[in-house]
Amino acid sequence: MSGFTKSPWIIHYDASSCNGCDIETLACLTPGFDVERLGVINTGNPKHADIFLVTGAVNEQSKDVIRNIYHQLPEPKVVVAVGACAASGGIFSECYNISGGVDSVIPVDVYVPGCAARPEAIIDGVVQALGVLEKKQKEMTSLANSLDQALYLRAEKSDAPEILALQKIAYQSEAEIYGDDSLPALQQTLEELQKDFDRSEQVFIKTVVNGKIIGSMRGYALNDSAYLSRVLVHPYFRGRGIGRRLVEEIERAFPGAKRFEVKTGHRSERNLFQFRAQGYQEFKTEPFTPAITWVYLQKKRQ
Amino acid sequence: MNPWIRLLIYLVAAPIVGGLLAGWDRRISARMQSRQGPPIFQPFYDVLKLMQKENVVVRRSQNYYIFFFLLLAIFTGGLFFGGADLLLVIFALTLAAIFFVLGAYKASSPYSFIGAERELIQMMAYEPMVLLTAIGMYMVTKSFAVNEIASHPTLLVLALPGIFLGFLFTLEIKFRKSPFDLSCSHHAHQELVSGITTEFSGRTLAMIEIAHWYESVFLLGWVYLFFASIPALGIAVSLLVFVLIILVDNVFARLKWQTVLKSAWVVAAVLGFGNILILSLLR
Repeated sequence: MSGFTKSPWIIHYDASSCNGCDIETLACLTPGFDVERLGVINTGNPKHADIFLVTGAVNEQSKDVIRNIYHQLPEPKVVVAVGACAASGGIFSECYNISGGVDSVIPVDVYVPGCAARPEAIIDGVVQALGVLEKKQKEMTSLANSLDQALYLRAEKSDAPEILALQKIAYQSEAEIYGDDSLPALQQTLEELQKDFDRSEQVFIKTVVNGKIIGSMRGYALNDSAYLSRVLVHPYFRGRGIGRRLVEEIERAFPGAKRFEVKTGHRSERNLFQFRAQGYQEFKTEPFTPAITWVYLQKKRQ
Repeated sequence: MNPWIRLLIYLVAAPIVGGLLAGWDRRISARMQSRQGPPIFQPFYDVLKLMQKENVVVRRSQNYYIFFFLLLAIFTGGLFFGGADLLLVIFALTLAAIFFVLGAYKASSPYSFIGAERELIQMMAYEPMVLLTAIGMYMVTKSFAVNEIASHPTLLVLALPGIFLGFLFTLEIKFRKSPFDLSCSHHAHQELVSGITTEFSGRTLAMIEIAHWYESVFLLGWVYLFFASIPALGIAVSLLVFVLIILVDNVFARLKWQTVLKSAWVVAAVLGFGNILILSLLR
């Protein structure tokens, strides 16, 4: 018995909607539709919510707020984009300040069509979100229960879409730290990643549990040095030694390398702490954007 | 009945009864707003779900305070249904609430702070009346022990009508219902987010819910004490009082904290102290 399908608590955020979809969303709570009969509570507190309901297209001001709210929702969580604007930017998609639909910032699970979306459609979207929520919850529990059976394997080109999806989820916390979504990891496209797979010197490691990739890291060797990057661990499984193990595995993947080099942002305390704990030492810093300074760390093979 | 058996029944039955009461509350509220409302078991679904959610914290220690809040909420009711001293019960009740407030302070977020501060104000508001209730019961029964008060042959409410009304007033505060839902209103999103519970999630939030179930059973048990000589009447009135609280919740808007504090003290002084004054003069 999961209880998940019977108690969806919702947080509703208006990204830059014309208020049409918002009014229809709130109409769902009125006696006519009464979503509370499905156990829905409109919480207003992201930390209590399961479903993140976003209306309107994403503009420069709402971008950070969306990411912040998404980040505060406890796992498992589902994002529902309500209305045409939230799905694609709608009639505002060409505007200079609009970056597109909600999925241009955070991963979206359910799209509700309409302009404005009708209450019936929104309720239908929420009910579909419940299915996704339950699926995610089951996945999470079964993954968490079999973490000790995690396999660390070489990733192949066919893994690229899954690794990219993981990368977008894992880097949400970094974007949160720097308040900047121009991080290269978030900008990378599938084609670029697939091209990386074609490069023969590039090595990808994946952490697989129950056939699902929950962690990944990559690196390439040049002369005597191996350049490692992107320790990706799904947010739900952090703090359980997966990142540490990924670094060990990828070091093993370059038997010829005499020196390993990584770089990370100057405010990513977690990464810095982990690398230092594994014997890496800082040797230079380099400004990347006004918000981010790269910190380079290196380690000599013992 | 053996107090230990009573205690055991309380420990097992209180969360079930409390949860059903909470479900009933939401159902009746919905019907008062001409909505269908959630199923009666909704609070249990909610808690089951919360148990499986990720527990997001600002500081890990905030959850320990909530654990003690739950523990003391259970302890309060345990003392009460075990038949212990009423003053000790009040002491445990206050301590439980203090742990709740400390937990919210520990989370250091502005909304959590506002909730915690308002919870303290609410405690200041209801504490005098709760104490006067215990004193009133002592004056009639010559005992602070709950089991002796419960076995008193007369209806306490006949001697303590003012104190009973005053106690109803504090119940409204203690249940955190409108017009006194200052600290964690479910409806004040813009103003409070979720007030005192803002920074708690997952299992910790479930603990808070369960503590509230225990608390509501204990509080209704206290209402029963006023009618203890006729048990059937006592249970009927307790349930009626619960419906009354829901009705008041739906009828009134939230008050400012100043009004809450003043009105609660005026009620305590006029109804509570007045009743005690008359009792001592009649003696």
